[in-house]
Amino acid sequence: MLGALAYYLGMILLIGGGIVDVLAAIGMNRFRNFYLRLHAATVGAIWGAVYPLFGLGLISLSLSALGSVRFYIAGIAFTTAIFLLLTAPVGSHAIAQGAHRSREAVPEPIVVDRLAEDEGVIGGA
Amino acid sequence: MRKLAIFLALIPPLVALYLLYTGSLSLFELALAIIIATVISYLFSSALISRPGRLYNPIRWAWALIFAILYLTVVEAKAHLSVLKLIFVPSRARPAIVRIPYSVESDYAITLIANSITNTPGTVVVDVDEERKYFYVHWIRATDLTEEGAKREVSELFERYARRIFE
Repeated sequence: MLGALAYYLGMILLIGGGIVDVLAAIGMNRFRNFYLRLHAATVGAIWGAVYPLFGLGLISLSLSALGSVRFYIAGIAFTTAIFLLLTAPVGSHAIAQGAHRSREAVPEPIVVDRLAEDEGVIGGA
Repeated sequence: MRKLAIFLALIPPLVALYLLYTGSLSLFELALAIIIATVISYLFSSALISRPGRLYNPIRWAWALIFAILYLTVVEAKAHLSVLKLIFVPSRARPAIVRIPYSVESDYAITLIANSITNTPGTVVVDVDEERKYFYVHWIRATDLTEEGAKREVSELFERYARRIFE
């Protein structure tokens, strides 16, 4: 009973993650500037990678035919998911800060840019 | 004495992490885990921990668990659905880089808030001003451009839990 529940929950997370990955890739093409694309990338990182990894761990735990191998797979899947959750935003922070400081990516269109205002790049917007 | 306590405090969590990762409880893995954890703790414990008592405070761990469950279900679902909607109607995006003040002290709390903001689609921390205590957040659908209003919409929940977990 519990095994079946873990299996179906894991399958939902895995297949849902694949669908969300496709949508995030579409968003990557439809958004027209660097910062907006960063948001689409976040969608792909959390629902598209972390959740499917949790799902993979649940599926392997539910498959008793795997014997003790299922604990290896589940352990690796869960810890990788948690590390991805902790480290994915670090990469986003680095890219976003680098893009803004080097002014390689112009945040257009934008309503207000408080960071540029405070750095004195473009007076009041 | 204090250095020794810090050094010893980091070993059990590292052993637990190693055993969770390998998914095995054999004597060989346990011995390897303890050796590796000792070396890593010797190298990095003084940089990672300043108050070992907090690491073993069950109330903080309980808040961390509550926050993890709340964050991974409700908060992420709301943020993902709003950004997935925007993918189909990109013209409804209203991007802005807003200034969001924070009032926590420790590096861990600041990191937790910044990571939580970035991990929710729709908001990305672009820069942090640690002297004046501001996050600069790129917000895909800015509904409130004032500092207090943006904080209420984006980071207030994270800050409340970061204070309970790390401060």
